[in-house]
Amino acid sequence: MTKPIETMWKDGFDKEANLSAPQVNDFYNRESQNIVDKLQNMFAMNIKAIIIGAGIMLIMMTLIGAPFLGLYICALLCPLVIIAKKELNKSVNLSKGQNSYDYLMSFDRWLKGSIETYSRYYRVFYPLFFIGMATQAIVSKAGGKIIALFVEKFPTEIFILGQPYYLIVAVTLLTLIISLSADALYRLDLNIVYGRQFKKLEQLITDMKELRT
Amino acid sequence: MGSDFYQMSILPFAGIIIKICRAYTNSNEDFEDYYQEVCLQIWRSKDNFNDDASWSTWVYRISLNVCLTQLKRSKNGDKKLVSDTLPEEAIDDSKAFVSAEINQLYDAIKHLSEIDRAVILLYLEEKSYSDIADIIGSNTNNIGVRIKRIKDRLNKYIKQQGQEHD
Repeated sequence: MTKPIETMWKDGFDKEANLSAPQVNDFYNRESQNIVDKLQNMFAMNIKAIIIGAGIMLIMMTLIGAPFLGLYICALLCPLVIIAKKELNKSVNLSKGQNSYDYLMSFDRWLKGSIETYSRYYRVFYPLFFIGMATQAIVSKAGGKIIALFVEKFPTEIFILGQPYYLIVAVTLLTLIISLSADALYRLDLNIVYGRQFKKLEQLITDMKELRT
Repeated sequence: MGSDFYQMSILPFAGIIIKICRAYTNSNEDFEDYYQEVCLQIWRSKDNFNDDASWSTWVYRISLNVCLTQLKRSKNGDKKLVSDTLPEEAIDDSKAFVSAEINQLYDAIKHLSEIDRAVILLYLEEKSYSDIADIIGSNTNNIGVRIKRIKDRLNKYIKQQGQEHD
């Protein structure tokens, strides 16, 4: 006859007089395994990387004779820094001392809100970035030569903004494609890194809601 | 981490953390990671502690919340019991405790869903239904029913394992 689980637990832990706790030290240098901390670190790293990246871009673009493109990219990156900072601040309110349901729900709200905010900006950022690069390529000397070769091979009388219409159509189409896939690209990237954890969170919340109703 | 804080505020409650972390891990390496993470989060969250709940309830909450949202991939994947049928393949019992009965019980607990593990651990720790509901964030009325179902599943599993070993 099997003992009741309550008796198994009580008797069993009576025998475990000293539950030996693992050694703990060097906490501050220890990398957190918690998803909230990981995402917070990711946002913090993002801020640093964007600032450094913007600086490098500005210097590089100035050196290759395209300072306006450098400034344009910097201007595009500035909102990303603001977004990352805002999202990082929001996450600070996620106290792990709440009850499990509230904690999981506040985590889920924060996570979904952050992903939505980032993806909204990337939908604008990627196409604008592409337009900037394309414009720079078109107005550059090398770009001008290539376009002249194209016009020679595919002559046309239709010019828009001083460029052959098919070039403008191609840039517009590519911008549209980039714009449409920006959100998917961002989410794909995020899912590769955190997909398993997101699924687990979804399952936990479903289970928790079932317990509450 | 201030060693005074660890000695005074965490170590006396290490038993709670160990019992919870063991239920969510399948190897010593994972267990140590989870244990350290819980201690780290207790330290980080100490300023948010208010006197509405006892320190032990606070430790239970943080331990469970950290275990529920840990990133580390389990070597055994997601072999958890979300339905009433037990999986055929048992999760490896790490023989973490001296008592064979406790190891047997943990083996069964690890086959439950994450939330059910939390509920049964708190129940076995003799927390009242209202305390369990408070820590988990559920209705007190549902806790009793859920515990009954979990106990049935655990008993069924333990019995099944016992028959296989006989």
